[in-house]
Amino acid sequence: MPEYTLATLVAVVVVVAVELLWARTGIFGTAQYWVTMAIVFLFQVLVDGWLTKLNEPIVRYAPAQFAGIRFPFDIPIEDFGFGFALVTGTIIAWQLAGRKETA
Amino acid sequence: MTAEYLLLMGACVVITLPLEFLLCARVYRRPRRLLLAVLPLLVIFYVWDAVAIARGHWDYSPAHTTGWLLPASVPVEEAVFFVVIPLCGLLTFEAVGRMLARSARPRSRKSPSLPKFREQARVPGANRGGRGAPDA
Repeated sequence: MPEYTLATLVAVVVVVAVELLWARTGIFGTAQYWVTMAIVFLFQVLVDGWLTKLNEPIVRYAPAQFAGIRFPFDIPIEDFGFGFALVTGTIIAWQLAGRKETA
Repeated sequence: MTAEYLLLMGACVVITLPLEFLLCARVYRRPRRLLLAVLPLLVIFYVWDAVAIARGHWDYSPAHTTGWLLPASVPVEEAVFFVVIPLCGLLTFEAVGRMLARSARPRSRKSPSLPKFREQARVPGANRGGRGAPDA
Protein backbone atom coordinates (compact mmCIF):
# COMPACT_ATOMS: atom_id res chain seq x y z
CA MET A 1 0.00 0.00 0.00
CA PRO A 2 1.33 3.50 -0.81
CA GLU A 3 2.69 5.23 2.28
CA TYR A 4 0.40 8.26 2.22
CA THR A 5 -2.62 5.98 1.86
CA LEU A 6 -1.46 3.91 4.83
CA ALA A 7 -0.62 6.96 6.94
CA THR A 8 -4.07 8.41 6.26
CA LEU A 9 -5.87 5.20 7.22
CA VAL A 10 -3.84 4.97 10.42
CA ALA A 11 -4.60 8.61 11.27
CA VAL A 12 -8.35 8.13 10.81
CA VAL A 13 -8.38 4.95 12.91
CA VAL A 14 -6.29 6.57 15.64
CA VAL A 15 -8.55 9.63 15.87
CA VAL A 16 -11.71 7.52 16.01
CA ALA A 17 -10.11 5.23 18.61
CA VAL A 18 -8.96 8.19 20.72
CA GLU A 19 -12.53 9.51 20.76
CA LEU A 20 -14.27 6.21 21.45
CA LEU A 21 -11.80 4.70 23.91
CA TRP A 22 -10.29 7.64 25.73
CA ALA A 23 -11.65 11.15 25.15
CA ARG A 24 -15.34 10.13 24.97
CA THR A 25 -16.54 13.63 24.20
CA GLY A 26 -19.58 12.15 22.47
CA ILE A 27 -19.23 14.31 19.35
CA PHE A 28 -19.94 11.39 16.99
CA GLY A 29 -23.46 11.27 18.37
CA THR A 30 -24.22 14.94 17.75
CA ALA A 31 -25.74 16.76 14.78
CA GLN A 32 -23.39 19.64 15.61
CA TYR A 33 -20.35 17.55 14.70
CA TRP A 34 -21.75 16.01 11.51
CA VAL A 35 -23.14 19.28 10.16
CA THR A 36 -19.73 20.83 10.88
CA MET A 37 -17.95 18.06 8.99
CA ALA A 38 -20.26 18.44 6.01
CA ILE A 39 -19.46 22.17 5.85
CA VAL A 40 -15.74 21.54 6.38
CA PHE A 41 -15.82 18.95 3.59
CA LEU A 42 -17.37 21.42 1.15
CA PHE A 43 -14.76 24.05 1.91
CA GLN A 44 -11.97 21.49 1.80
CA VAL A 45 -12.97 20.69 -1.77
CA LEU A 46 -12.47 24.37 -2.65
CA VAL A 47 -9.25 25.02 -0.73
CA ASP A 48 -7.65 21.64 -1.32
CA GLY A 49 -8.81 21.71 -4.92
CA TRP A 50 -6.86 24.94 -5.33
CA LEU A 51 -3.76 23.52 -3.58
CA THR A 52 -3.67 20.35 -5.67
CA LYS A 53 -4.92 21.42 -9.12
CA LEU A 54 -2.72 19.67 -11.63
CA ASN A 55 -2.15 22.69 -13.82
CA GLU A 56 -0.12 24.81 -11.40
CA PRO A 57 -0.23 22.74 -8.21
CA ILE A 58 0.95 24.27 -4.94
CA VAL A 59 1.40 20.86 -3.30
CA ARG A 60 2.85 18.20 -5.60
CA TYR A 61 2.27 14.55 -4.76
CA ALA A 62 4.61 11.73 -5.68
CA PRO A 63 2.47 9.37 -7.79
CA ALA A 64 3.96 6.28 -6.12
CA GLN A 65 3.05 7.44 -2.60
CA PHE A 66 -0.74 7.73 -2.91
CA ALA A 67 -3.46 5.52 -4.35
CA GLY A 68 -3.60 7.53 -7.55
CA ILE A 69 -7.27 8.46 -7.30
CA ARG A 70 -7.88 12.17 -7.55
CA PHE A 71 -11.45 13.24 -6.81
CA PRO A 72 -13.12 15.67 -6.88
CA PHE A 73 -11.05 18.00 -9.07
CA ASP A 74 -7.45 16.84 -8.68
CA ILE A 75 -7.55 16.15 -4.95
CA PRO A 76 -5.89 12.88 -3.87
CA ILE A 77 -8.64 11.12 -1.92
CA GLU A 78 -6.23 10.55 0.96
CA ASP A 79 -6.45 14.27 1.67
CA PHE A 80 -9.98 13.79 2.99
CA GLY A 81 -8.72 11.35 5.60
CA PHE A 82 -5.98 13.82 6.44
CA GLY A 83 -8.53 16.63 6.82
CA PHE A 84 -10.93 14.45 8.80
CA ALA A 85 -8.18 13.52 11.25
CA LEU A 86 -6.97 17.11 11.62
CA VAL A 87 -10.37 18.71 12.16
CA THR A 88 -11.90 15.90 14.21
CA GLY A 89 -8.79 15.72 16.38
CA THR A 90 -8.99 19.45 16.97
CA ILE A 91 -12.68 19.32 17.91
CA ILE A 92 -11.97 16.48 20.36
CA ALA A 93 -9.15 18.49 21.95
CA TRP A 94 -11.41 21.57 22.05
CA GLN A 95 -14.12 19.62 23.85
CA LEU A 96 -11.61 18.16 26.31
CA ALA A 97 -10.18 21.62 27.01
CA GLY A 98 -13.70 22.93 27.55
CA ARG A 99 -14.47 20.15 29.95
CA LYS A 100 -11.42 21.11 31.99
CA GLU A 101 -12.43 24.77 31.98
CA THR A 102 -15.82 24.09 33.53
CA ALA A 103 -14.56 21.46 35.96
CA MET B 1 3.10 34.27 -7.13
CA THR B 2 5.18 33.05 -4.19
CA ALA B 3 2.70 34.32 -1.62
CA GLU B 4 -0.16 32.31 -3.12
CA TYR B 5 -0.33 29.59 -0.47
CA LEU B 6 -0.16 32.16 2.35
CA LEU B 7 -2.82 34.30 0.68
CA LEU B 8 -5.09 31.27 0.42
CA MET B 9 -4.69 30.73 4.17
CA GLY B 10 -5.36 34.42 4.77
CA ALA B 11 -8.56 34.11 2.75
CA CYS B 12 -9.68 31.22 4.99
CA VAL B 13 -9.17 33.40 8.07
CA VAL B 14 -11.07 36.34 6.58
CA ILE B 15 -13.97 34.25 5.27
CA THR B 16 -14.52 32.62 8.68
CA LEU B 17 -14.31 35.87 10.70
CA PRO B 18 -18.11 36.44 10.53
CA LEU B 19 -18.59 33.13 12.34
CA GLU B 20 -16.90 34.67 15.36
CA PHE B 21 -18.42 38.11 15.20
CA LEU B 22 -21.85 37.61 13.62
CA LEU B 23 -22.73 34.09 14.71
CA CYS B 24 -21.01 34.40 18.12
CA ALA B 25 -18.78 31.33 17.78
CA ARG B 26 -16.59 32.70 20.59
CA VAL B 27 -13.48 30.78 19.56
CA TYR B 28 -11.00 33.67 19.38
CA ARG B 29 -12.44 34.91 22.65
CA ARG B 30 -11.40 31.71 24.43
CA PRO B 31 -7.67 31.85 23.67
CA ARG B 32 -6.56 29.37 26.31
CA ARG B 33 -8.99 26.71 25.17
CA LEU B 34 -8.12 27.49 21.55
CA LEU B 35 -4.42 26.99 22.27
CA LEU B 36 -5.09 23.69 24.05
CA ALA B 37 -7.11 22.49 21.06
CA VAL B 38 -4.76 23.60 18.29
CA LEU B 39 -1.31 22.95 19.75
CA PRO B 40 -1.37 19.13 20.06
CA LEU B 41 -2.65 18.69 16.50
CA LEU B 42 -0.13 21.24 15.22
CA VAL B 43 2.70 19.18 16.72
CA ILE B 44 1.38 15.85 15.43
CA PHE B 45 0.66 17.07 11.91
CA TYR B 46 3.94 18.99 11.76
CA VAL B 47 5.78 15.75 12.45
CA TRP B 48 3.64 13.92 9.87
CA ASP B 49 4.43 16.63 7.32
CA ALA B 50 8.16 16.54 8.10
CA VAL B 51 8.27 12.75 7.66
CA ALA B 52 6.19 12.91 4.46
CA ILE B 53 8.50 15.56 3.00
CA ALA B 54 11.59 13.59 4.01
CA ARG B 55 10.18 10.41 2.45
CA GLY B 56 9.15 12.21 -0.70
CA HIS B 57 5.38 11.85 -0.39
CA TRP B 58 4.93 15.41 -1.59
CA ASP B 59 6.73 18.69 -2.11
CA TYR B 60 5.82 22.31 -2.69
CA SER B 61 5.93 24.41 -5.81
CA PRO B 62 8.66 27.04 -5.39
CA ALA B 63 6.59 29.32 -7.64
CA HIS B 64 3.66 29.38 -5.19
CA THR B 65 5.37 29.28 -1.80
CA THR B 66 7.67 31.75 -0.05
CA GLY B 67 10.51 29.28 0.35
CA TRP B 68 10.72 30.08 4.06
CA LEU B 69 11.46 26.78 5.75
CA LEU B 70 10.98 25.81 9.39
CA PRO B 71 12.90 22.97 11.09
CA ALA B 72 12.85 19.65 9.19
CA SER B 73 12.28 21.51 5.90
CA VAL B 74 8.60 22.18 6.61
CA PRO B 75 7.44 25.28 4.72
CA VAL B 76 6.11 28.05 6.96
CA GLU B 77 2.86 27.82 4.96
CA GLU B 78 2.27 24.31 6.28
CA ALA B 79 2.57 25.39 9.90
CA VAL B 80 0.12 28.20 9.10
CA PHE B 81 -2.20 25.62 7.50
CA PHE B 82 -2.15 23.49 10.67
CA VAL B 83 -3.31 26.52 12.67
CA VAL B 84 -5.75 28.06 10.21
CA ILE B 85 -7.68 24.94 9.16
CA PRO B 86 -8.32 23.72 12.73
CA LEU B 87 -9.33 27.29 13.60
CA CYS B 88 -11.83 27.32 10.72
CA GLY B 89 -13.11 23.93 11.87
CA LEU B 90 -13.65 25.15 15.43
CA LEU B 91 -15.37 28.34 14.27
CA THR B 92 -17.70 26.21 12.16
CA PHE B 93 -18.30 23.77 15.01
CA GLU B 94 -19.19 26.53 17.48
CA ALA B 95 -21.28 28.49 14.98
CA VAL B 96 -23.21 25.35 14.03
CA GLY B 97 -23.72 24.66 17.74
CA ARG B 98 -25.17 28.16 18.19
CA MET B 99 -27.48 27.79 15.22
CA LEU B 100 -28.77 24.39 16.31
CA ALA B 101 -29.33 25.61 19.86
CA ARG B 102 -31.16 28.65 18.53
CA SER B 103 -33.48 26.62 16.31
CA ALA B 104 -34.15 24.10 19.09
CA ARG B 105 -35.18 26.84 21.50
CA PRO B 106 -38.97 27.05 21.86
CA ARG B 107 -40.61 29.70 19.70
CA SER B 108 -41.16 32.99 21.47
CA ARG B 109 -44.66 32.69 22.96
CA LYS B 110 -47.61 33.26 20.66
CA SER B 111 -46.93 36.63 19.17
CA PRO B 112 -46.58 36.23 15.44
CA SER B 113 -46.44 39.97 14.93
CA LEU B 114 -43.11 41.60 15.59
CA PRO B 115 -41.79 38.87 17.85
CA LYS B 116 -38.33 40.41 17.92
CA PHE B 117 -39.49 43.78 19.14
CA ARG B 118 -41.68 42.26 21.81
CA GLU B 119 -38.86 40.04 23.00
CA GLN B 120 -36.51 42.96 23.30
CA ALA B 121 -39.11 45.13 24.98
CA ARG B 122 -39.74 42.46 27.55
CA VAL B 123 -36.12 41.88 28.49
CA PRO B 124 -34.05 44.90 27.63
CA GLY B 125 -30.44 44.03 26.85
CA ALA B 126 -31.11 40.31 26.92
CA ASN B 127 -29.07 39.81 23.81
CA ARG B 128 -26.04 41.26 25.52
CA GLY B 129 -25.50 39.17 28.57
CA GLY B 130 -28.08 36.48 28.15
CA ARG B 131 -26.38 34.70 25.34
CA GLY B 132 -23.03 34.59 27.06
CA ALA B 133 -23.83 31.57 29.19
CA PRO B 134 -20.95 29.99 31.05
CA ASP B 135 -17.80 29.68 29.00
CA ALA B 136 -17.34 26.05 28.11
